[in-house]
Amino acid sequence: MMDKLYLIAQIADTRVALRSRSINSVVGVENPVPVPGAPPHVVGLFALRSRILTLIDPHVVVGLAPVKVADSQRVIVVDVAGHGYALLADRIEDVCFIEAPETPLHGQLSPGWARVADALVEFEGATLLVVDPAHFITTPVARAA
Amino acid sequence: MDDLLTDFLAEAAEMLADASGAIVAWEGDPGDRDRLDAIFRFVHTIKGSSGFLTLPRVTALAHAAEDALDQVRRGARNADVALVSAVLAIIDRLNQLCETLGKSGVEPAGDDQDVISLLSGLTAAPVETAVPVAAPSVDEDVAAAVQSWRSIRVPLPLLDSVMTGITDMVLARNDFARLLRENNRDPALVASFDRLSDSIAGMRQSVSQMRMQRIDKLFSPLPRIARDLATELGKQVQMVTNGGEVELDREMIENIRDPLTHIIRNAIDHGLESAADRQTTGKDAIGRIMVSARQSGNQIEIEVADDGRGICIDKLVAKALSAKIIASADVALMTPRQKLDLIFAPGLSTAAKVTAISGRGVGMDIVKSNIEKIGGIVELRNDEGRGLCVILRVPMTLTIISGLLVSASNQHFAIPRGAVREILLESSDTVRIDRLGGGEFVSVRGERMALVRLENILSGGEDHDDDSDDRALVIVRPGQGHCYALSVAAIHDHEELVIKPAAPLIMATGLYAGTTLPDNGRPVLLLDALGLPAVIGVDVGVAAQLGSELLAREADALETRTRGQLLLFRDCDQSVRAINLTAIERVEEVPLSDIFESAGSVQVHIGGDIIPVHASAVPSGCEKVKLLRLFDGRNEICYLIDSVIDIIRMTDSVKASKVPGLVAGIILVADQPIELIDPFWLMEQVAGGSRRAERKHGPLCRLAADDDGWAANFLAPILRSAGYRIASGPVLADEEVADVLLCSSETDIAADGPTVPVVRLRMTVNGEGPDDDSIYRYDRAGVLSALRSRVAGTGQ
Repeated sequence: MMDKLYLIAQIADTRVALRSRSINSVVGVENPVPVPGAPPHVVGLFALRSRILTLIDPHVVVGLAPVKVADSQRVIVVDVAGHGYALLADRIEDVCFIEAPETPLHGQLSPGWARVADALVEFEGATLLVVDPAHFITTPVARAA
Repeated sequence: MDDLLTDFLAEAAEMLADASGAIVAWEGDPGDRDRLDAIFRFVHTIKGSSGFLTLPRVTALAHAAEDALDQVRRGARNADVALVSAVLAIIDRLNQLCETLGKSGVEPAGDDQDVISLLSGLTAAPVETAVPVAAPSVDEDVAAAVQSWRSIRVPLPLLDSVMTGITDMVLARNDFARLLRENNRDPALVASFDRLSDSIAGMRQSVSQMRMQRIDKLFSPLPRIARDLATELGKQVQMVTNGGEVELDREMIENIRDPLTHIIRNAIDHGLESAADRQTTGKDAIGRIMVSARQSGNQIEIEVADDGRGICIDKLVAKALSAKIIASADVALMTPRQKLDLIFAPGLSTAAKVTAISGRGVGMDIVKSNIEKIGGIVELRNDEGRGLCVILRVPMTLTIISGLLVSASNQHFAIPRGAVREILLESSDTVRIDRLGGGEFVSVRGERMALVRLENILSGGEDHDDDSDDRALVIVRPGQGHCYALSVAAIHDHEELVIKPAAPLIMATGLYAGTTLPDNGRPVLLLDALGLPAVIGVDVGVAAQLGSELLAREADALETRTRGQLLLFRDCDQSVRAINLTAIERVEEVPLSDIFESAGSVQVHIGGDIIPVHASAVPSGCEKVKLLRLFDGRNEICYLIDSVIDIIRMTDSVKASKVPGLVAGIILVADQPIELIDPFWLMEQVAGGSRRAERKHGPLCRLAADDDGWAANFLAPILRSAGYRIASGPVLADEEVADVLLCSSETDIAADGPTVPVVRLRMTVNGEGPDDDSIYRYDRAGVLSALRSRVAGTGQ
């Protein structure tokens, strides 16, 4: 069941279906604390209750220019290897089951997206990229175009 | 398994470990009644509990040991090596039985007569010479023992989960506090929250304490290990442990156990020489190993010092060369410290041949990496030929540390308080900052260090113009390596911080050691004290420091000349006193044997000089003493001290004492009144006693015609103490012309020509006539006054 559950969101200017297995929650963030010296896709740190999360900017991961964090911007909280991260989202749409099967990619994507996207899926008359949120954290950053 | 049995086993394991250490100590000092009683209680308790659980073998063993020890207590038997070995054998057997019991749950069948007979087979004849000890009734003792063991056992995972729980509670409370501050003004709610907050803080404290264990736990098996190993190697070792009351997080204890054991094995196997070798080098046949622990701030220092041969640097280098750890070209460039640090290189073992005990290729590198894994450091103090001291410095706990909050670029950061040596303002008088060749250096009271601006590090080495005056300097003492100064925009406060690891991609920067969440709810990064300077390539390693020490010494000398400084020291009576630094020529450390008492005053023999010492008696109870050597341009005197504390700036106000004496007055140092020693008064006491200046520049008196050596043997000491320099024997070609000639007979008056005045000595009390200007040679005053008048005559 969980395998079919996706979070539909717009991330790095692209509509994607995020596999929900590692997604913890969606929260608002304000004013993250920067981490000098950290890789460029690390926006900073913020506290969620008693946890400290590392905020990631997916724009940088796929090779776009970084964006400014707006007040109460929505972020997707994910757990990867015991650490908590949050992905900046441009817009959060919905969580839903997608019964349609994932179809493999055939190299039509930009280099940045090609490294994070796994497959394609049909949803309500549109084609979405299927992305595992963990890829945004573990993938080396694409050089900004 | 039965709960009762589990409890018994846990208790027995703990007591047996303690007991073996106590027995070895007791063997060394059989008169130690307390120790004997403690061991007796161990076996007595084990006997009692095992009887209750029907473990006949355990009961029989404990009973036999109890009997034997009781005889010793009653003075009916002597504690000798055989007895101690027999008791140790019983303890070993008990350990084996307990292990089997732990695995199978039932006591294995078997016979322990072999070890029991060891005990009873000894001559149990009453010994008259035994130390008579009063034997209090057994029940009384045991009642005391039960009191001291009044505790319960808790499984470790439970303890750990309580700790995790309380950490989360603290963080949740911090979060709650922030919300409350932002949204609520209801005093009742705030008060109630404060109460909750206080009790959480108290609980956290208790939980931290629950996890604390006395380091005794770690130390108690060591004497046994040392004894067994020494016996195996045919060496004699005396092990002393100290500071067992220091407490350490149990996780740290687990982590230190192996490295510590390894260091001790190394010390016995490689460090200590055989008894014969020791005696040829003038050491006591019994090697000493001293293990001590002490707490300093958030850190625990564990020191293992032996009096063995130390590390032979040349052998170490040769070994590293042959193991291809270093190239021969590197050797010339290496400082002694770097050479010594080769001991930590992987794959290097100093033993000439591999032994079963410690030369197995796992060596100090493993010790070092294990200690560093838990945030500790390993230091060495090597005194070649005289011993090695290994110091382990580890944090007390891992999860909650005391941190110093600083800010840079408008952002807060935390520094572990344990790594901070000192905090200063850049504008402080004791601080001088030099910009040289693109780098910055700071001199704090003559000690030169690299200066690192936090903003520069965080922005990847770019220079920031920051002319703010009130920047603060944090002198950071990273684990290994040397201090550096971290310049930050401001210092905030100290806080107990719950440290959580940061995400791997943040840790990978090398700048941070973790994250923490203070009360305001804004995450704060914990700076990695060692990683910071490395990231921008500032070398705080050894080479950089040695060069800078030379510079610092020059700077120090300059400072000494340009402004008054005081040396703060601990006097022999342990009170802290100060003395003007310019009066001190140097601080000497001499063996006690060089200090002697002569003619009612204490003197010291340093190099070729005999110098008076300001002390009422020759000190005792130590092997070496420290002396302040004072020199006023003419006279010298030594002042006996305990230790040097610091060099401080002369304060403006001295409250002078009313009566001249040793103490010139009182000054305030850090709000503490300190007695200031009066070097003038000290000199006054010895003026005339030692006249180095006059020895160099006093008149030269040549002993002529001193064929029988009388003048050289009898007269010369008197003349020297009167300030003359003495020359005797044949006149050398380049010798300076004597100021006066002292002639013991009539023979060669004209040897040096008429320019040199002559004092002639005669053997008889009465002269030969009115023209006889010679002086009777035992007329001390006459000889001196004649010399004085002749020398004065030359000047005219």
